[in-house]
Amino acid sequence: MQKWRYALASALALALAGPVGSPATAATPKDTLVMAWNLDALITFDPAQIAEINGNDIIRNVCDPLVEYKLDDVSKIVPKTAESWSVSEDGLKLTFKLRPNLQFPSGKKATAHDLAWSMHRVLHLGFGASANLTQWGFSKDKAEQQIVATDDHTLVAHLDKPYPLQLILSAAFANQVTQLLDKEEGMKNAKVADGKSDHGNAFFKTAPICVGPYKVRTWNANDVVILERNDNYYGYDAYAGGKPALRRIVYRHVPESGAQRLQIEKGDIDVARLLNSDDLKALSSNKDVHIEQTLMHGFTYLVFNAADPILSNPKVRLAFRYLIDYEGLGKTVIQYLGAPRNSLVPIGAYAALNEKEGLPFKLDLDKAKQILAEAGYPQGFSKKYILSANTPNPPIAQHIAANAAKIGVKLELEQMADAHLFQRARNREFDVLQIGWGAGYPDADSMISRHAVNPDNRAEAKLAQYPSWRSSWQDQKVNQWAEAAKMERDPAKRIAMYADIQRYMLENGPMAYIYQTVRSIAIRKDVVKDFQIGPFWVAYGTAKK
Amino acid sequence: MSANAAAAGPHRRRLHRWLTAEVTTSPQQASLQRLYFGWLRFRRNPLAMIGLSILLALIVIALLAPWLAHYGSNDQDLYARLKPPSAAHWLGTDELGRDIYSRLIWGSRITLYIACLVAIIAAPVGLIVGTTSGYLGGWTDTVLMRVTDIFLSFPGLVLALAFVAALGPGIENAVIAIALTAWPPIARLARAETLTIRSSDYIAAIRIQGASPLRIIVKHVMPMCVPSVIVRITLNMAGIILTAAGLGFLGLGAQPPSPEWGAMLSTGRQYLIGAWWLAAMPGLAILLTSLAFNLFGDGLRDVLDPRTE
Amino acid sequence: MTAAAEGRSPQPRRLPPWVRAGWRVGSSIVVTLLGLLGLTFFIGRMLPIDPVIAIVGEQAEQSTYDMVYKQLGLDRPLYVQFGYFIRDMMSGNFGQALFTGNRVIDDLRRVFPATIELATFAICIGVFVGVPVGMLAAVYRGRAIDHVARMVGLIGYSSPTFWLGLMGLVIFYAALGWVGGPGRLDVYFIDVVDLVTGSVLIDSAIAGEWDVFRNAFSHIVLPGSILGFASMAYISRMTRSFMLEQLGQEYVIAARVKGLSKWRVIWRHAFRNILVQLITVIALAYAFLLEGAVLTETVFAWPGFGRYLTAGLLAGDMNAVLACTLIIGLIFVGLNLLSDLLYRLLDPRTR
Repeated sequence: MQKWRYALASALALALAGPVGSPATAATPKDTLVMAWNLDALITFDPAQIAEINGNDIIRNVCDPLVEYKLDDVSKIVPKTAESWSVSEDGLKLTFKLRPNLQFPSGKKATAHDLAWSMHRVLHLGFGASANLTQWGFSKDKAEQQIVATDDHTLVAHLDKPYPLQLILSAAFANQVTQLLDKEEGMKNAKVADGKSDHGNAFFKTAPICVGPYKVRTWNANDVVILERNDNYYGYDAYAGGKPALRRIVYRHVPESGAQRLQIEKGDIDVARLLNSDDLKALSSNKDVHIEQTLMHGFTYLVFNAADPILSNPKVRLAFRYLIDYEGLGKTVIQYLGAPRNSLVPIGAYAALNEKEGLPFKLDLDKAKQILAEAGYPQGFSKKYILSANTPNPPIAQHIAANAAKIGVKLELEQMADAHLFQRARNREFDVLQIGWGAGYPDADSMISRHAVNPDNRAEAKLAQYPSWRSSWQDQKVNQWAEAAKMERDPAKRIAMYADIQRYMLENGPMAYIYQTVRSIAIRKDVVKDFQIGPFWVAYGTAKK
Repeated sequence: MSANAAAAGPHRRRLHRWLTAEVTTSPQQASLQRLYFGWLRFRRNPLAMIGLSILLALIVIALLAPWLAHYGSNDQDLYARLKPPSAAHWLGTDELGRDIYSRLIWGSRITLYIACLVAIIAAPVGLIVGTTSGYLGGWTDTVLMRVTDIFLSFPGLVLALAFVAALGPGIENAVIAIALTAWPPIARLARAETLTIRSSDYIAAIRIQGASPLRIIVKHVMPMCVPSVIVRITLNMAGIILTAAGLGFLGLGAQPPSPEWGAMLSTGRQYLIGAWWLAAMPGLAILLTSLAFNLFGDGLRDVLDPRTE
Repeated sequence: MTAAAEGRSPQPRRLPPWVRAGWRVGSSIVVTLLGLLGLTFFIGRMLPIDPVIAIVGEQAEQSTYDMVYKQLGLDRPLYVQFGYFIRDMMSGNFGQALFTGNRVIDDLRRVFPATIELATFAICIGVFVGVPVGMLAAVYRGRAIDHVARMVGLIGYSSPTFWLGLMGLVIFYAALGWVGGPGRLDVYFIDVVDLVTGSVLIDSAIAGEWDVFRNAFSHIVLPGSILGFASMAYISRMTRSFMLEQLGQEYVIAARVKGLSKWRVIWRHAFRNILVQLITVIALAYAFLLEGAVLTETVFAWPGFGRYLTAGLLAGDMNAVLACTLIIGLIFVGLNLLSDLLYRLLDPRTR
């Protein structure tokens, strides 16, 4: 007994001492960038199917789209596989000139015909990503007429409406749906079942053959992804060319923040991409590690089900906005992970409200209580509150629930896996929902067209891709407003219209936005240079060691 | 022993004499004597006594939680989060600045709640299935035992995981899932006991008197099986607590902000390197409790199983 | 009543006994298998997680959703789905794992060797520590070593393995740096050795890649020991009680009286007699290791079966979860059967 107690005491003493320098720091290979990430959600590398942020991040280094946002200023569009583009006078015909020197990793030439086929298959397959085309009037039935390769280097797109050029380029043509796949391989490996072709989906899922700086060499689900340099790449820099310096990019599945922290401290990895707030804070004082923070175009927010008699009251929803200690959370639980923000358009997007105007609310229990009393619920009420089990969601929800309890609102929490949470959200099966969302493109329209606009609120409409529909909330005034703003070709007017919508939504909307996502990446200073991080993805083409 | 008895007052001495009398005068005295001798034997096993005292302490802690805890289970302080153990917070604070010591105290109620509820569900189910199967025999036996075997053919945790995944997370569902995995061994045991009881003269005599099978099972077979079922469930209790903690650890058990130990441990896992106490403390509590059940059960088995004498 | 009691007696007398025994065992296996299938199917249907969303993505439109829903056959009546399910399972077709994009059977083939390696490492520790400790505890019953062994064993039983794993990582990896971290290999050793046997340890030793071997060993030693701890507790306890039984037998006393040395009697006679029982215990311990692996692998990011199961569970991947549950059930039944058969074959008393 005595001995056992002694052993336990010394074990605890050792644990108390915390991490000390490790013997023999292992260095990663010189030509390989090793990253730790969570690869849980990764299920496909087919650009027509990718629907989550990590897959998108990786595929951006494997497959180039027609055009791209500049990484450091997403309001600028730069050429990728297209070297130039033009729009007809009526605004209905877009013509892209492709680079003459596009090659697949095998050295085979890539043409506009490959690209047209790649875009057609996005529409035919109809996965979530196809919305990036269907939203702009492209459709499965007319795909072959709407997107045409007129010769090996020219792609023509026929639009249904004269959208502002900036908007349509950033929303549709900078998207993964214009990534160029090998038509010949895709057709050859297509599987046909019940008379329907999968357009090479099963084949490209694990090994997309694309024009891009890297190719997928190995993918073991939930374990490792290895990218290898495409030696036939035309150049990572849209203007100056240039070949990637690093031969291999390795992503390791390390779902634990603590493990990632240890590995980067020891130099087992070069880059840690999934660290929680406290591990980042600890790493910030490590002289070997640099933490790069980037505001992403995503949010964590609460959704109130407007079909619920209590939550349909805008005042009740307004009261909730005063239950959150934005400043306190920002300094503690979500430090490095989020920047408090209430407006639905993210900072960095076209026409976003500025930082101050986008964060009008603060923790104010008295005010919340007063608003609730005005709404007719001075005694409070009870509601169920569902959320993702992933960090940092649980502490945020517990914080809100504890504050709500102080004004008599009882929130019963239920944590669940993301897959389950998404399903509950899509089926409108919730009272209060805490969830995240990533905007597709850096324009106010991206958020407003999904979060404020609700084209059809009927249950049978099943517009589950619209968070507004999920919340059973509809406001015809907002619908018309947003449509007018979208088509407005005068930039100044467009910005003003979006500002009005944002202000209206702050007070009346069915969502309470808590924070805009920040991506914090820890990088070994001594080994990694010129790592390019944008709000939507990270590019490794320029990275050196 | 005798010194002890002598030191005690005359009442205790008389009680001791009555309990150790060589000739018993009533059945009650006989069964109490059996218990008393068992207790005396149990008391000689120091490890078992340690187990028992930990369990008693746990029950006391759960009952007196409002007085023992320094804070409520959900009192938050964002600016005092992840603080190491200190005089103000004996076991430190967690990611929302809640006092871990207080949460462990409140959490003892949940642990006991889970353990008791599982026992209350699983023991009767196992008892009914086992005794029915054993007494009736034939097809009933074949079918029931086949079902039992199917449940037994999954490891407990995997089956509980699958059930909880199906039922949805939450403490009640976790209890149901664990109970679903806990009854088969009890049914097996009850069946084996029933098979020996069934062939006894005593049951034959009752059967000849014309008692219905239902009456025999409920009135005569089940009571005979109860003691061994109780021992068995006590022995399983450690496993039940570990499974519950495992479910909590995977986020499928009790939901936040509930101070369930497994769930606390699961949260602590994210802060492992910087704030080890978040995971270490609830883990120790789980270890201590399941160890206590194992020690207690072990002692109990020694007392009741004559072969180990 | 009496009829029921004798319900099992009417059996065709003409058949030779081994046919009857075979029939009994065979039919019970078939029924158990069907039960396993039924139970897993039932669980699968109850899973509240939607497999369709995992495929189409959270932002997909309803028409896309409905299309995939049909493709997965989820619109058919339940009994039809069960029929397909049995047919598929029988032919080893567990469908596509949605969260990996591969066929489940291919995934399982990939992840299983990692688990087998871990479990085998653990069982070696369990056997090579557990058996001697159990023997010593029996021989020196009631002495200090017996108490220590018992206490350590009980702690092994009582510890949440996932907690031991976490604490082990904090102490031996983070603080002391004695062992490798999560995962099976450090990243730059991945892909160095082609997996032939599926065990990195064996393959790297065969290939003479000692750096890889050392690295693999540093990664397996902690999860392997922690898993092994629990099975050691079980094995030493059983060894002790088997041994005590033997030591009380007359032949042991007789042999001692004849002047044979104590340890000679123990090893040559008593140990041999408990060998059969021990093997069955080890087979069962091995089966339980697979259960322990679920949480241990999750903690250590060990790319094996257990982590595949929990990842599938969290990703809402019905196919993967069902296949894993079913396979673990099959292995359990198989190992139980095996230990039963071994017992019957090797133990003369049961003939």
